[in-house]
Amino acid sequence: MGDDDAASSQHGWSTVSCTAPCQDGGTSGSGRPAGKMAEKRRPTAPVAGTSEARRASPARGLATESEEEFLRQAGVTAMLRAALLKVLEARPDEPLPFLAHYFDNLGLRSPANGGAGEPPGLLLLQQQRIGRALWHLRLAHHSQRTAFNNNVSVAYECLSASGRKKRPGLDGRTYSELLKRICRDGEAPEEIVSPLLRKIQCRDHEAVPFDIFRYGMLTCFVLLEFVSRADALYEVLDDSGQADRRVCQAVLDTLEGALLAGDFEAPSRYLEAGSQLGPDCLALAMDRALLARKPNSSMLRDEFLEKAATLFIAKVRPVG
Amino acid sequence: MATGTALRKPRRRGAATSASRRMLSPDRLALPDYEYLAQRHVLTYMEDAVSQLLENREDISQYGIARFFTEYFNSVCQGTHILFREFSFIQATPHNRASFLRAFWRCFRTVGKNGDLLTMKEYHCLLQLLCPDFPLELTQKAARIVLMDDAMDCLMSFSDFLFAFQIQFYYSEFLESVAAIYQDLLTGKNPNTVIVPTSSSGQHRQRPALTETSALEGVEASLFYQYLENLCDRHKYSCPPPALVKEVLSNVQRLTFYGFLVALSKHHGINQALGALPDKGDLMHDPAMDEELERLMAQLPGLLTTPTSGTEGGCPRTSPRMGSPWKPLHHPRKVDAESDGSTEETEESET
Repeated sequence: MGDDDAASSQHGWSTVSCTAPCQDGGTSGSGRPAGKMAEKRRPTAPVAGTSEARRASPARGLATESEEEFLRQAGVTAMLRAALLKVLEARPDEPLPFLAHYFDNLGLRSPANGGAGEPPGLLLLQQQRIGRALWHLRLAHHSQRTAFNNNVSVAYECLSASGRKKRPGLDGRTYSELLKRICRDGEAPEEIVSPLLRKIQCRDHEAVPFDIFRYGMLTCFVLLEFVSRADALYEVLDDSGQADRRVCQAVLDTLEGALLAGDFEAPSRYLEAGSQLGPDCLALAMDRALLARKPNSSMLRDEFLEKAATLFIAKVRPVG
Repeated sequence: MATGTALRKPRRRGAATSASRRMLSPDRLALPDYEYLAQRHVLTYMEDAVSQLLENREDISQYGIARFFTEYFNSVCQGTHILFREFSFIQATPHNRASFLRAFWRCFRTVGKNGDLLTMKEYHCLLQLLCPDFPLELTQKAARIVLMDDAMDCLMSFSDFLFAFQIQFYYSEFLESVAAIYQDLLTGKNPNTVIVPTSSSGQHRQRPALTETSALEGVEASLFYQYLENLCDRHKYSCPPPALVKEVLSNVQRLTFYGFLVALSKHHGINQALGALPDKGDLMHDPAMDEELERLMAQLPGLLTTPTSGTEGGCPRTSPRMGSPWKPLHHPRKVDAESDGSTEETEESET
């Protein structure tokens, strides 16, 4: 939603009074170099700020009021406010690439700015819509549930508003395409992802309700993170350059034990699973595995990841 | 062998934690808004983006504002945003400092490659090419590290200067505080009484005349470290990783201020932690840049290489724009009187 503010920046600046995040940030940062500059940009900058601004551009004899007027009229103020709100909502680890990406997307969206003015074909339009939805979905990590949920609904709206002729709604084809794109960009191997997709995909012609959409997106992102965690785990097991099959299997078995036992409706189950995966239990299992007199061989990364992912996917509720 | 693994282990663990921090990072999410923004200097860049936009108002109509911001933030990410900017901006954030170090290295790497030795003043001129108002004081301080505060008009190699400059520039505020602590230890005062952040610059210069009894020169390393560790804890500016500072100080019994700075500047791990420059061995190694340079050289008739004839116009003259895209460098227009008189370079190369 916050993003639509940015799109409609030209007339959206009637909400000037909500500059709170900007101003907070500016004043609290005073004493740092940022603080001084923050004064300058504030819409209600005092006279002291004017000399600052003018110093930055001595060649131009224009007063600050006109600079502010310019910023407001050109929609800069509103655009930056929307961007800042988005940064605060998503709290990206690296805000600068995030902002570059954000403005890039903004520029592409409005043909007046991007320059790509010609009416795009239907297929291109579809691709653009998916790209935009993906961008929204990635703005916040799924663990920030509120922000993520917001972005999911914006993405859903993006995809549902398909042209004037068709009725609004999201079809299974677009949904599946989006899932595939997420998995592909997440660089998860095909053989890991396809069992998941089989579970959460819809048929091409089916209408996808919002709940299913959200569930699918969330599951997909969680799996990707699960896989990358499993990958980090393998990295640890692979310390000596060769992951011991017995130890790997012990770790996987422990994971399986923790995941499979009982239903996860009761909160206490989470604690139980956690304790089973705690250092004590896991270390014991690994120790036992090492002591067992079995032939020693190694397990490859792909195999480990696939096995771990299978455990995860087994718990995924199939759609429909 | 043993040291090799000992060095590698913590780094891997560090990578793992940073990876997990990227995924969940509860501390980042728990911060108040303004602290999060201040920590990552978001507002510094937003303010700067706006003032750049105002300075280049005329270009906006053709670019579009979103495009302008995209380019601005892309250039910030790439580290090209600091080129030819004022010093106050260049030192405003750790990222800007690292970018500047990187730019300095990349631009003047050839100095080192040719093995030229330059004086402090000459290095200062090079710095001023990238940042016109770069303060002489900082260059002097860096030179003092290389020359151990002695014979300041000596020649220095590029890499010696670069690594000393890196420490001095990047950890400027930290070194001020270190100098104050050192000075207090030397005069037997308790450094805790020093109000560190406001310590005036150049304080360390009023030290007593060098005693030639080298056994008692400097301060005791372990005691020095205790104070530095404490300093790192409460310092709001960047400081080198305390573990590495400890490593530097644990090798010696006593050391002088400049001895300490030299050790910091030559420390491989500190250079890596800072992340702006490659290892000393790779300093001259940048094949992509070399290729680019050679290509450019070949395109400049009459400069260094043998003058090429005008028929080489087949290859397009794309000068690599290193400056901010909205602030084109004003290259002096080449007026070659002996050429066929065509001044339209681009058209000429098209034909």
